[in-house]
Amino acid sequence: MGLMENVPKVLDPLPGGSRLADAVDYVVNWARSRSIWPLTFGTSCCAIEMMAASMARYDISRFGSEVFRASPRQADLFIVAGTIVEKMAEPLVRLYEQMPGPKWVIAMGSCTISGGPFYYDNYSVVKGVDRLIPVDVFVPGCPPRPEALLNGLVLLQEKIRKETLRNPRRPGEPLSAPAEDRWARAKEAWEELERIKDEQMAEARAKFAAEHPDYKPPKPPRAEKPAFPEVAREPAPHAGWNARAVADAVHARFPELKLFRLGDVAPEVLEARPADWIPSFEVPSGKLLEVARWLKDGELKMDFPLLLTSVDRLDRFELVAQLMNSSTSARVELRVPVEKIFPEGGSYAAGEKNQKYGATAPSLVPVWPGMGWHEREIYDLMGIRFEGNPDMRRIFLEEDFPGHPLRKDFDMPGRAIPRHA
Amino acid sequence: MNALDLSVNHPVGDFVREVLFPNCPDLAWAANGLIAAVALVLFPVFLSAPFLIWMERKVCAHMQARLGPMRHGPHGAFQTIADVMKLLFKEIALPGKIDRLPYLLAPAIPLTASFLSLAVIPWDHDLQVADPEQGILYLLAVGALGILGILVGAWASNSKFALLGAMRAGAQMLSYEVSLGILMLLVALLSGESSLREIVLSQQGTALDWWIFKAPVVGFLAFVLYLVSSTAELNRGPFDLVEAEQELTAGYQTEYSGMGFAMFYLAEYVNMVIQAALVSTFFLGGFLPLQIGIAPVDGILAAAPGIVWMVAKILLVVFVYMWFRWSFPRPRIDQLLALEWKTLVPANLVLFALGVLLVSQGWIL
Amino acid sequence: MTARTRQTLPPGFLLPVRDGETDEFYLNLGPQHPSTHGALRVVVRLDGETIREVVPRLGYIHRGIEYQAERDNVLQFVHFADRFDYLTALQNEHAVCLAAEKALGIGVPERGEWIRVVADELTRISSHLIFLGSFGTDLGGTTTFLYAFKMREAVTQLFDELCGARLTTNFLRPGGCARDLPEGFVQKTRAALETVKRGMDEWDVFLSGNVIFQERTRGVGILPADRAVALGCSGPVLRGSGVEFDLRKKEPYSLYSKFDFDVPVGSVGDCWDRYAVRVEEIRQSARILEQALDDVPEGPWRSKEKVSWRLDEGSWWSEVETAKGILGVQLESQGKSDKPWRIKVRSPSFSNLMALDEMCRGQKVADLVAILGSIDPVIPEVDR
Repeated sequence: MGLMENVPKVLDPLPGGSRLADAVDYVVNWARSRSIWPLTFGTSCCAIEMMAASMARYDISRFGSEVFRASPRQADLFIVAGTIVEKMAEPLVRLYEQMPGPKWVIAMGSCTISGGPFYYDNYSVVKGVDRLIPVDVFVPGCPPRPEALLNGLVLLQEKIRKETLRNPRRPGEPLSAPAEDRWARAKEAWEELERIKDEQMAEARAKFAAEHPDYKPPKPPRAEKPAFPEVAREPAPHAGWNARAVADAVHARFPELKLFRLGDVAPEVLEARPADWIPSFEVPSGKLLEVARWLKDGELKMDFPLLLTSVDRLDRFELVAQLMNSSTSARVELRVPVEKIFPEGGSYAAGEKNQKYGATAPSLVPVWPGMGWHEREIYDLMGIRFEGNPDMRRIFLEEDFPGHPLRKDFDMPGRAIPRHA
Repeated sequence: MNALDLSVNHPVGDFVREVLFPNCPDLAWAANGLIAAVALVLFPVFLSAPFLIWMERKVCAHMQARLGPMRHGPHGAFQTIADVMKLLFKEIALPGKIDRLPYLLAPAIPLTASFLSLAVIPWDHDLQVADPEQGILYLLAVGALGILGILVGAWASNSKFALLGAMRAGAQMLSYEVSLGILMLLVALLSGESSLREIVLSQQGTALDWWIFKAPVVGFLAFVLYLVSSTAELNRGPFDLVEAEQELTAGYQTEYSGMGFAMFYLAEYVNMVIQAALVSTFFLGGFLPLQIGIAPVDGILAAAPGIVWMVAKILLVVFVYMWFRWSFPRPRIDQLLALEWKTLVPANLVLFALGVLLVSQGWIL
Repeated sequence: MTARTRQTLPPGFLLPVRDGETDEFYLNLGPQHPSTHGALRVVVRLDGETIREVVPRLGYIHRGIEYQAERDNVLQFVHFADRFDYLTALQNEHAVCLAAEKALGIGVPERGEWIRVVADELTRISSHLIFLGSFGTDLGGTTTFLYAFKMREAVTQLFDELCGARLTTNFLRPGGCARDLPEGFVQKTRAALETVKRGMDEWDVFLSGNVIFQERTRGVGILPADRAVALGCSGPVLRGSGVEFDLRKKEPYSLYSKFDFDVPVGSVGDCWDRYAVRVEEIRQSARILEQALDDVPEGPWRSKEKVSWRLDEGSWWSEVETAKGILGVQLESQGKSDKPWRIKVRSPSFSNLMALDEMCRGQKVADLVAILGSIDPVIPEVDR
């Protein structure tokens, strides 16, 4: 930019120089607007539509912008495609700073404009990328169609062509001179227009009422809603395994285990279960590894770690593990209550937000290595430590993120904007 | 460099020499070089590189069922002009912790190397900057300079992507020089000449007298192998491991912006012209017109000046390079080197032996 | 330079330093990198160009969808399902709807189920087509991307007509679908299938038969079957390793038990197998669709709309075989509220990505790109 700003300073004093400066200005802006190389950057859904815009059907190359550069050093345009979360904010700003000037930004999609569907009740999404970097063109949509992106590109080209070295509002003054208050003038003109419109409308209404004294506006036709029948759900039975047999097998090996929410393993209880029931056992934390080892190496051969998650039940955490036999697809679910360990004087009943408490559970990684990241996720979002996991770090959020968002007492004013604020 | 004979016939050069430096023979040498460089090297190159970039984008687009640049000028003809101008006026962003001097100088090296190579390329009967006796040796020596720029630039820019790219560049380009060298020797062996002009002149006659056909089978195989090796030497797709966008973002040019990047980019296309010119010089009769042995047609074909034929052949080969680039996926670095050392080099040596056999037995058509 | 000790390794790296090996270095790919399929960051520990260890760093697109889900009712959650794996939007919605139907005891009329199957299979085709394109691009063949997208546009067009959106469709509802089929949908689907099938025949010549492509994929990133199972990989990654596991066969949901199709399985578990499985799955999906299009059930496309979304106390699990693998939804409720107490989405890419480190060890940097591409992760689904 520095070079270009000096052009009028150097040329203007010369005879005919200002015309030459204008010509340079025009030609350079022409070149810049005609050759916009975007940076390859996309985080989510919008990126797919951005790719679609460069594909055969929409063909962004017609405008000379198919040169997607992977290195920010060679890019002119930053198309922020996809949600930006707070962890991404720092790399995003750095990418923008790495781009050489002049550079432009298109905010593509509602997430980058305002947070979009993630505006309310969300602790991690940046609510509008213009809080981080200056944006030239906003392309709304979720995601915007490729045509919309192309339109955004054309708008940007127009904008670049108007980027002159002269001050457009104060001729003869440098670019940095403050602009006049155009808002006040526009507001005045707008109010005048509104006033005229109101007057004319009132006149027309009065005229119509005089001509048609007994006119009633017709009711807008309502689309006929088809009547849908009430359909009862028919649970489909498991194809390759029998839930009762699995429950019985676990019961035979560990008679002390109780069914989750149902109590003892009794024939009449099992009989009443729906066909797609998955046996679910309540396992005390201390017994978890023993049960897990047997499930994997015993007769059931539950070798597939399908699910590990946790639920905050206010007074305790509850681990939910679902395991599967990869050849028959037989399942068993384990529910492990995990105690919340409060510091002196604290308890869940106090109802305070953001309380500090810990919880630990045995890690299942020695049995199923695939549980590793699931445990890290639980540690990150719920704050349960797993003893025996070799890599117990936060997985999604920054190490210094305050609190664990999926705990029911998590509350972060400023970060999460509540829906009915 | 002193071996260069720069006093070759050159109409423009002679004219200017007489006008500008009538009484100063010492300066005439410099003038000759200057004029030749401007008239024959810089000017066409600056015209051709944007054209080639535009052509590449169009060829690529049409291979991909797209249209390519359409808006700026007829069929986007002004597209690359805008690109070049934009790059000229772009900020040169200097990354932190770079080695400044090498970083800024490096982009000039590949461009210089390619301009030097251009000096020996015969464009027409008497349109050539210099015609050294050892033209092939000169090409090999100067061509290897280009790697230096890549290595220096990548090392200076303090980026791991660039470094990996440069390491690949070193391994790849040095390896493929071997293949190219053997193939050039083969051509020299067949034609009995090492001056590029003489090599072209050794192919006079019909199209069957071009080395691609004249040396039965060997010539054609050598042509194909030369195309493959030169693609690798050019760092172009499918052998663009040095840039390898999907792995190394932009390889050795990752940290370059504005003009630095433009010069690397330009050098790539100038190199492509050079390699295409060499292919047509060695195998396709260079500036000689296409003759098919039917007198009236031959007369018409021969009416076009040599430079037209040269450019046409270059464009044909360049098109083949682009065709390669947009058709194939990229091999891995170890596969690429294995291809060179385990397949191409032995094949070239066998080919060379066959060439010796052909020449000694006089089996050349 | 002295050898790094265990303590000085960057977080996440577990492999001990070998004696006398001091020339290791770390390469950071992402979160903005052309081949990491979005906002994934991978830190690679390299010895020259050979990979010793790979540590993915997640969370660059962690949007807290599960947190938001606890503050909406189930119906409102459906549109979030589009956004965790936007390439298989309709299949995600299917999983969420199945969970909600289990919880609320709603059934789906036959036509509704039929539309769901058609939507699912079209989604599978479109997702796999993106995989084919991006995999080709990852290996340096940029042109493949455009050919894949050309085929995909035919399918996207159908989504556009069916749902009014190309990508984030928001089409399924607990109890059926939002709308009936548009006019002429069956004929248009047939035409699109023809386009895809013709394109796939071209594809076999264009990419699958290419020597460089085969060299780059065969024997690269081998994942043995037992490791794939132990790590919880699913979908084409699991099937590529030779485990014949497809929920459409093992736990048939919707109308899948009525259709005749094969589950393609690999043998070695390398990138080629995972690629070949997906190529064959496109053909099998086309087969399912052809059978479906021959016999379109008439009738309502959804059951009676619920007035209240109030959930009783309970836990419900539903699962769907998406293009990426097993997508499960665990729905927990404490009762007395229409808002779920907890929704957990078990995303296939999350578990599949865990296998990246094992597959990459000992391979070259360029292979990392191929292996990552062959897993075909969608990062917003990993991070949610």
